[in-house]
Amino acid sequence: MTFDPLAERGIPVEDQFRSWAELNVEPYDKLDVHPYTRARVILMNGIEVESIIFSHQFARQTDNAEILRALALSRRVEQQQQKVVNGLNPGNQSPLETTIGYEQVAVDLTSWLARHEPDPMLKQALDFALLEDFDHLYRYADLYDLLDGENADQLTKHLTEITPGRPTFAHHRHPYDELKAHYSTNTVDPLSRLHVMTIVAAEQQTMNFYMNHAADWVEPIARGLYVEIGMVEEQHVSHYESLIDPLDSWCKQWVFHEYNEVYLYWSMMEQEIDPGVKRIWELHLDMEIGQLQEACRFLRKYEGVEPQEILPPALPDTPLVFEENKAYVREILATEYALRTDGFDYVDVDDLPSDHRYFEFQAVMNRDGNPSEQVVNEDRAEAGTEYRDETDGDNPIEELRPVAATS
Amino acid sequence: MPTLTPTKATGGVTKLVPAIYAEPDRQITDADLASFMAGSELNGPFMAEMLSGMLAHERCGRHLYRSCEGRTLNPILQAKYREFGEETEQHVEILEQLITESGGNPSYVGPMARAVLGTDTNLVQSTFLLEGSLDLMTAETSMLDAVFLAESMDHTNWKLFTRLTETMPDGDLRSRYEAASRQVEPQEDEHLGWATQTKERLTLLQATSEAPAGSKADELIARVKNWLAD
Repeated sequence: MTFDPLAERGIPVEDQFRSWAELNVEPYDKLDVHPYTRARVILMNGIEVESIIFSHQFARQTDNAEILRALALSRRVEQQQQKVVNGLNPGNQSPLETTIGYEQVAVDLTSWLARHEPDPMLKQALDFALLEDFDHLYRYADLYDLLDGENADQLTKHLTEITPGRPTFAHHRHPYDELKAHYSTNTVDPLSRLHVMTIVAAEQQTMNFYMNHAADWVEPIARGLYVEIGMVEEQHVSHYESLIDPLDSWCKQWVFHEYNEVYLYWSMMEQEIDPGVKRIWELHLDMEIGQLQEACRFLRKYEGVEPQEILPPALPDTPLVFEENKAYVREILATEYALRTDGFDYVDVDDLPSDHRYFEFQAVMNRDGNPSEQVVNEDRAEAGTEYRDETDGDNPIEELRPVAATS
Repeated sequence: MPTLTPTKATGGVTKLVPAIYAEPDRQITDADLASFMAGSELNGPFMAEMLSGMLAHERCGRHLYRSCEGRTLNPILQAKYREFGEETEQHVEILEQLITESGGNPSYVGPMARAVLGTDTNLVQSTFLLEGSLDLMTAETSMLDAVFLAESMDHTNWKLFTRLTETMPDGDLRSRYEAASRQVEPQEDEHLGWATQTKERLTLLQATSEAPAGSKADELIARVKNWLAD
C-alpha cells in the first residue's frame, strides 16, 4: 500500500505543543534496550537537530513576518520533538557508551543506505565513508575496554561486527579532497535525495556530539581520540553535504526537510519493537505530516510551486531499516579498503603520486602519532589483546588481523 | 499539462560537468545533442542549451505569475498576472513541443537552464524574503519589478529565437519555429509593454500623490487596491 503524506492532514502545527511532563519521557534501559531501538533514537535526534538548524538558517535569510512566524512555530515544535527523542537516552549511559551507539548507527545506517541507493556515485560516496565509521567503532570499543573494562558487544549485541576498517590514521586527507560532484535536483531519484539528507543529518549530529564531548574526559587518550575522530566527522559532513544540489530555494529545502522527516518517522514506526518508543514515532509522524502541509502551503503561496511538482506521488515503498549488514561491510572492506580520494575521484592509494597533497597532509597531522593507534596499542598492552567482536570470522584484510602484544 | 518542474519522474536528464553528476541513464552528452535541430544549419548542442534555458525561464515565469497573482492586493494587477501566467504556461507547452520535434528532450536541464534557474529562483525569492522591511506599495512594486525583469529576458529570448529562425533553411522545422514565433512574440511584446507601462504608471502615481507616511494599514491597502482603477 502506498502512503502519500500530501493526502494526509496530520496534526495542525498549532496543536502540537506538549507540557513539560510530556516532554520529560521515561528513558530506555541501556543494557536491555534493543541496539536498533537505540540506533533509531540516535538517528531521529540527529534528524530533529538538523531540522532546527535548517530552520534557524532560513530564518536568518528573511524578515518576512509570516515566514518567520511559521518557522518559529514549527521550530519550537521540532525542539520539543528533539527533547522527547533525545530524552529516551538514559542518564546512566555514559558519553562513551552513547558514542558506541553513534558509531553502530553510522555503520548500519550507511550500509543500508548504500545497499538501497540507486545512484552509483552516491553509493560510492556512502561506501567510502562507511569503512571509516566502521573503524571508528573499533577504536571507541577499544577505548571502552581500556577505560571501563567493558565489552562494547554488551551494547551492540553482536549485531554489528567490531574490527578495524580503513584505519583512522589514513582518514586525514586534505580538505579539498572531501568535496564531490553533486546530484542534480532535476534528475535525482527521490530516494537518493532522502538518503543524502539523512546521512548529512546523521553525520552532522555525530560531529556535534564529538565537538561537545571531547572535553568530558580526564584521560588524555580519550580526549585525543575524540579530537581525532571528531575531525574526521567534520570531513564526513563536508563530504556528504557536497552531494546536495545547491539550486533548491529555501522553501523547497523546507519541504524536502519535512518530507524526509515524514519518511523517517514512518520508517521508524514500521520496525519499532519497543511499544513506548513506537508510540512516540507514531505521534511524531502525525506531527511531521502537519509540518509538511505547512511548508507546502508556503511553497505554493510564495513560489507558485505545487508540492506535487517536486515530491514523488508516494513515500518510497521500503522503509529505512536498521538491520545487520555484516556481509555487506565485509564485502566493501575487502574491495575498497585501499581507496583514497583525489578531488572528486576515488583512487587506490598506490595510484596517488608520491607528491600528492594527501601525503603532505598526512605528514603534518600524523607527525606526533595518532590517538586512534595509541588506544589500540594501550588496550593490547593492558589486556594482552585488543578488543574485537568478529562474529563472522577473521578480518577480510590480512594486515588488519590482530597482532600480539609486545612487552 | 506541461511540466513546470522537471524531475526524474518526468524524464529529467542533465549534462555532466565537473561539479554535477547524474545516474547513467540520466546523462546527456554533447554527442547526444549534436543531432538536435538536424538540418537547421545551427549548432545543435548550443541550440539545445539555449532552448532549455528559454524553457526554464518560461517555467519559472509561470511560477512567478502564480506567486504574484496570489499575493497582490490589487485586482487589476491580479487579473493581468493570471492572464499572462496562463499565456506563459502555453509558451512552456509550445517550447516543449518544439524541443521534442527538434529531436531533444524537454526535461533536459543542462548548464544554461541551471544558470537561468539560479537567477530566477533568486528573482522570485527577492519578492518575498525581505517583505518585512517593505511597505505595501514597495512590496507590490517589488513583485511588478520581478515581472518586468523576467519579461525583459523573455522578450529578448523570443526576439533572438525569431532571428535564429530566419537563418534556418526552408522546411518543416523552420515552419514550426516560425509558427511558434508568430504566436508567442506578440504576446511577449504585450507582456513587456504592459510591465513597462504599469511600472511607469505606478511610479508616477506615487510620485505625484500625497505621501502615505503615517497612514493606517487599511488606508494603505485601500490605496493599493485602487491603483490603476481609472
